Amino acid sequence: MSKAKTHQPTVIHKVIMVGSGGVGKSALTLQFMYDEFVEDYEPTKADSYRKKVVLDGEEVQIDILDTAGQEDYAAIRDNYFRSGEGFLCVFSIKEQESFQATQDFREQILRVKNDENIPFLLVGNMVDLAEQRQVSVQEATKRAQEWKVNYVETSAKTRVNVDKVFYDLMREIRARKMEASKQSNGKQNKVSRKIKCTVL
Amino acid sequence: MSRQQIQNTLFLPNDERLITMISVSKIPRKTNLKKRGSWLCAVLNTMESPAKVYIYHVKKSDRGEGFKKKMSWLLRDLRKLDGKSAEKPSPEFDLHFEKTYKWSAASVEEKEAFISSLWRLSHRFLIQKPEFENIPERLLEDIKDPHTLREKSQSVDDISIEGEDYQALSAKEEADLELLMSECQVAISNAEVFTEQLSKQLSVLDGANIHSIMGSEDQVLNLMRLLDNGIKEAEQIEEKLDSYDKILANVKEQMEVMRDKDTLMTLRNKNHQRLLEELQNLVVIRLDMKHIQALMDGDLTTPAGIQECTAAAQALHRCMNADIHPSLLRLGGVEEQQKRFKKLSTNFSKRLVHHLNNLFIHQVTYVHVYMSSLSKLYSREVSDFIENAKQKLVAAKESKGKLGTATLSRLTGSSTSLAKLDHRGRSGSIQSVDSSAVKYGSELDIAIRSVFDQVLEKVLTEMERVCIAEQDFCFKFFHLIDKNTPKDEDQEKDKDSTTEGGGDVETDVWVARQTYSAAEGEFITENLGQGLLQKRAAVTVEINMMAELFPQLETELDGFLTHADKQNDMYSMYMLVRMSQHVINNQDMGSFLGKTFGNCLIKVKRNFDKFIDAMMQTIRETKTSKKSRCGIISFVHSFEEFTNLAESIFKGSDRHADLDKAYTKLVRVIFEQIIRVAQEHQKTPREVVLMENFHRMFSILSHLKNPCLENDRKEAKQRYTENLQAYTVNLLGRPLEKLHTFFEGVEARIAAGVKPEEVGYQLAFSKQELRKLIKEYPGKEVKKTLEHLNKKVEKQLCEEENLIQVVWHEMQNLFINQYKYYDSLMTKCYPDSNITLEFTMDNVLQYFSDIAQSH
Repeated sequence: MSKAKTHQPTVIHKVIMVGSGGVGKSALTLQFMYDEFVEDYEPTKADSYRKKVVLDGEEVQIDILDTAGQEDYAAIRDNYFRSGEGFLCVFSIKEQESFQATQDFREQILRVKNDENIPFLLVGNMVDLAEQRQVSVQEATKRAQEWKVNYVETSAKTRVNVDKVFYDLMREIRARKMEASKQSNGKQNKVSRKIKCTVL
Repeated sequence: MSRQQIQNTLFLPNDERLITMISVSKIPRKTNLKKRGSWLCAVLNTMESPAKVYIYHVKKSDRGEGFKKKMSWLLRDLRKLDGKSAEKPSPEFDLHFEKTYKWSAASVEEKEAFISSLWRLSHRFLIQKPEFENIPERLLEDIKDPHTLREKSQSVDDISIEGEDYQALSAKEEADLELLMSECQVAISNAEVFTEQLSKQLSVLDGANIHSIMGSEDQVLNLMRLLDNGIKEAEQIEEKLDSYDKILANVKEQMEVMRDKDTLMTLRNKNHQRLLEELQNLVVIRLDMKHIQALMDGDLTTPAGIQECTAAAQALHRCMNADIHPSLLRLGGVEEQQKRFKKLSTNFSKRLVHHLNNLFIHQVTYVHVYMSSLSKLYSREVSDFIENAKQKLVAAKESKGKLGTATLSRLTGSSTSLAKLDHRGRSGSIQSVDSSAVKYGSELDIAIRSVFDQVLEKVLTEMERVCIAEQDFCFKFFHLIDKNTPKDEDQEKDKDSTTEGGGDVETDVWVARQTYSAAEGEFITENLGQGLLQKRAAVTVEINMMAELFPQLETELDGFLTHADKQNDMYSMYMLVRMSQHVINNQDMGSFLGKTFGNCLIKVKRNFDKFIDAMMQTIRETKTSKKSRCGIISFVHSFEEFTNLAESIFKGSDRHADLDKAYTKLVRVIFEQIIRVAQEHQKTPREVVLMENFHRMFSILSHLKNPCLENDRKEAKQRYTENLQAYTVNLLGRPLEKLHTFFEGVEARIAAGVKPEEVGYQLAFSKQELRKLIKEYPGKEVKKTLEHLNKKVEKQLCEEENLIQVVWHEMQNLFINQYKYYDSLMTKCYPDSNITLEFTMDNVLQYFSDIAQSH
């Protein structure tokens, strides 16, 4: 579109949804994107979403890559982990297994990104079904502290904290980017290899 | 003969005597009747008193020799006996009882004997004699002469003659007689002695009888005395009763008199009451002196006078239409009063008509003057106003390219000039347009549009206000009657000359006008209340008047709308929404303005349709660059923008249905055109164009969440998924192309019925062939191909739609699945041959990781 090019390029933040199958990654994404909650569960392969939002007064664009929870080979994820700038690592508070799986995701992300401080949020979803809780807040918070990340509980169904997790993550990404550009102004740094928000 | 037999068996036991009998048969004759005997018997029953004559129908019984009574009638019940013919002898005759029975006698003689016997019997025993018809005279004459009867009857029927004195001895008499005779043994031998003895006894008995009669005389006398006494006393009691009765009769009479009096009194009371009520009603009907005065010579020129007159007229109206009973109208007083009322009303009517006449003449000339002078003024004003608005739009457009405060000041400048035009203190709100325009300094595009929106709103609101103000004024002013002309002219001048900078003059005029219209208002409402003016008429008058006052309004507005439409066709959306809103606001007024706006709305709707059509045309004509990759087609972007803008404009508008229709049309065209572009594009594969653009359309439609577009949304999703599939599959045909073809062949053999283990014995699919092929794909080679594919994907897909990861993810899965599939086919078809691919699954995963790391 010719008109868009005359505008100043919008900043794009790339967010990747990770987590085991059925924890509500797509539900969170759809709730954030279209304010809708889909009851029917249909496993995602991979899908991409894009939305313009105002982040602290600045109009930015968020690209969300919603990924498959069920995957036979973890290596398949490498490529999109590589492309992400921030991660929402989701588990279901009523499923201990999904909480355990976050460990593997975390490790893979760190390995692929080779960055300890990658913007990352541990998200405990399905808080609307708290009576079926299997993962305690303490437990999850403890793990988050180990990872030096934040832990947020959400409900894709009732929209609790949905905006918060996306906006919080975007803020982290933005902060990282500003930091990186400072560093790249000084000396060349490994981090500067990351994709920057410029149009080629 | 059976006569004796019948008498003995049937009648004697009942103490009946058979007088006459006749052998008969019924008519019509039944065949079996002949065999058995059938008789009619006239029988005298002396047991009953007075003696009765029966007629029996007797038949021989079915069994044996007995007889039985078949039917019986009383002779009394015989109404008529019909002998069929008086001259011609015939055995037939009819008996008319309650029914008519037809008989035929055995012979004519028998019949005649029977009839004459009946005749005699009826004459002897009956008061009401039956009719004898068609019977020879001789049979009936018999009885008329008693002598002949006696003579004749002796010869004809000796039994009936004797029967006159003779009475058969009853069983008891017979017994007594026998007893008597047995007591006197002589009786049988010597009748004379017996008679003598009897008469002796009789005389003795007589003597005893007389003696006892004599003896009982005293007692009789005693009884008589007692009876006399009783009678006397009864008479006394009767007398007393009579006297009581007389007294009671008196009392009754008095009571009756009293009751009559009572009813009379209540009646009188009621009548008095009614009369009183009527009179009270009547007396209330009267007219105040004050009202009479007002009607006679109230001042119709001052508001106070008018008010008085109205009140008086209303009072008079009430008096004249008062509910008076017609008969009361004949009362002298009432009649006189009605006459007076009539006279008053006639006088007042005359006065009022005269006055109104004067006024109307004044008004008509005045209305003409007012309209001709004001219509010119309004034409000029409106066209200036519109022209200014147009200029302002142009100014806004010109300033589009520039940034900064200069533009804003220019905008403000033009709107102040717009404000200057304004009359009657309307400029205040125009300035508010400028102030709000300042807010949108940052986003110039939006600012210009919102400026337009505000200018449009301003234009419409101002037009509306001016029109409504004028309409109100005309309504009030021209229904007002009798104002001196100079003052009217002042008023008009004031209105016209009032400008924004008017200062003192302005405020003065406002005060003057307001007081003035307050008085008018009152008068009008009263006038309307009286029904002197009809509202509908007023409305049509008002429409005509307004049309004359604002002859250019519709053309000017139309001009403005067309102008705006030329400036930017997106404006048609604003216009549609705003106009529709104003039409709704003015709808119920049924006014000139409502009509004008309605017409404009139709034009605006056409403009909107044209705008949508134009958009569709643009979409159809879109050409894409042949040099670069396709990416998201420009019209998809435009559509997204359009939806954002349109949603913001139509938000909450009742015109959203129009927008929905436009959406549907646009989406259809876009879908069509995406397919066209995909086919035409040379650089980018068809599937990629379709995949990316439908993905975007799906996203746009999901954002819109419009139920009308739900099917389109699903279709977009469907097409996106299909093409994602098609793209990955088509591309993947290549990395291991020869192997792929080989295994496809293997599969085809198996499908054709070849056993999996035997496929390897076919020349084209031998182990050697497979080994040769596998050698062509060493790990290194495969990795290189995959890297190449990854680059290709990145090259063909656009950054913007961000589907690279999605496609690559799909690709990886597909490749892994194929690897597994080849592997399984090899173990199945070439068992124990130890043939494997040159690279392992772990190798594949490592390649993927390496590719990921290379970014």
